[in-house]
Amino acid sequence: MFPNYVNICYICSMVITEISTGKKHKVEIVPVENSDFKTLGKDRYFFDWKTEKEYEVFKLQIIGSTEALGLVSMERIPSEWRVHIRLLTVSVENKGKGKKYDGIAGNLMAFTAKIAVRDYAEFACLSLRPKTEIAQHYIEKYNMTPTGLTLSIMVPEILELINSYDHD
Amino acid sequence: MTKKENKNITEDVEFGLDSRYSSNKEKQSEATALMEARLERMKNLSKDQIIRAKLMQLRLKMEDYIQHPVYEKHNYFSEFLKIYIDTLYTKRIHFAHDIDITPIRLSQVINNHREPKDEFLKRLMVHSEKVYENICEFQEETWYQLYFHEKLYSIMARKKEWKPKVAKHVKYSK
Repeated sequence: MFPNYVNICYICSMVITEISTGKKHKVEIVPVENSDFKTLGKDRYFFDWKTEKEYEVFKLQIIGSTEALGLVSMERIPSEWRVHIRLLTVSVENKGKGKKYDGIAGNLMAFTAKIAVRDYAEFACLSLRPKTEIAQHYIEKYNMTPTGLTLSIMVPEILELINSYDHD
Repeated sequence: MTKKENKNITEDVEFGLDSRYSSNKEKQSEATALMEARLERMKNLSKDQIIRAKLMQLRLKMEDYIQHPVYEKHNYFSEFLKIYIDTLYTKRIHFAHDIDITPIRLSQVINNHREPKDEFLKRLMVHSEKVYENICEFQEETWYQLYFHEKLYSIMARKKEWKPKVAKHVKYSK
């Protein structure tokens, strides 16, 4: 009955924090256009994003800016009521101790969680398959559950993830 | 793993997650195991948790529609309203009672036989505030936005019908 929107974008309800000032900035997460891929080099975004062109790729940017501060590619798997994150990154200046903004990766996680819940409601599942050594981080920070090599988050925890990054 | 190594990993994980499966075989086998585990976990979902998930879904769909309205012949306001009521109540008459309108009036709005009055929209707004209070953020203006998006579309879609008649009554005298 309702259309599945290609240009999903959650504006206004998501913010990131500028670490040096504590100032909060409203962000939007928008689809990466074909023409954007040439600006998404490995030097700033750590992966070869061109290989993700056949999947859904989104970028997080401060409202009013077009600079990608973070990227995520994902695959919707309707037969399993699941959204699987394939790649997720923040830009080079937002990595590690000296990073400029906080909350980029978390907002990208919450964004994909929203897509899962929007599409599959109580059956929604967000999954990822991290390398073994970093799995614990995702289990602790996002309350994910391991099954084999895959981590997943479902109702009710997935709703908590969305709420923790939803701000008016 | 030393504390320093662990710290380095934590600093690094957020910038680079490569979550792709190494092969289709691995992907399939993980998917099967995951589905089995999920079905087990889903058995424990309470009715309340299911309702919360449905209401979150409804909110997200309404937000999508408001941000990217799709102008089709559907009446999205009444469709969303039906989902809202049917998620919360076993009988629509109970919702009518809760917002103090007659079941007939509610039925007329739901079936597009009557426009919702301002009072109806206000009561729906207050009802939603109460419902969503402990579930998630909910913009109080949502129902109004839905309604007026559709109103605008309906007026613009029928412009050819009404504009010549209206134009006869309008002039610009300098």
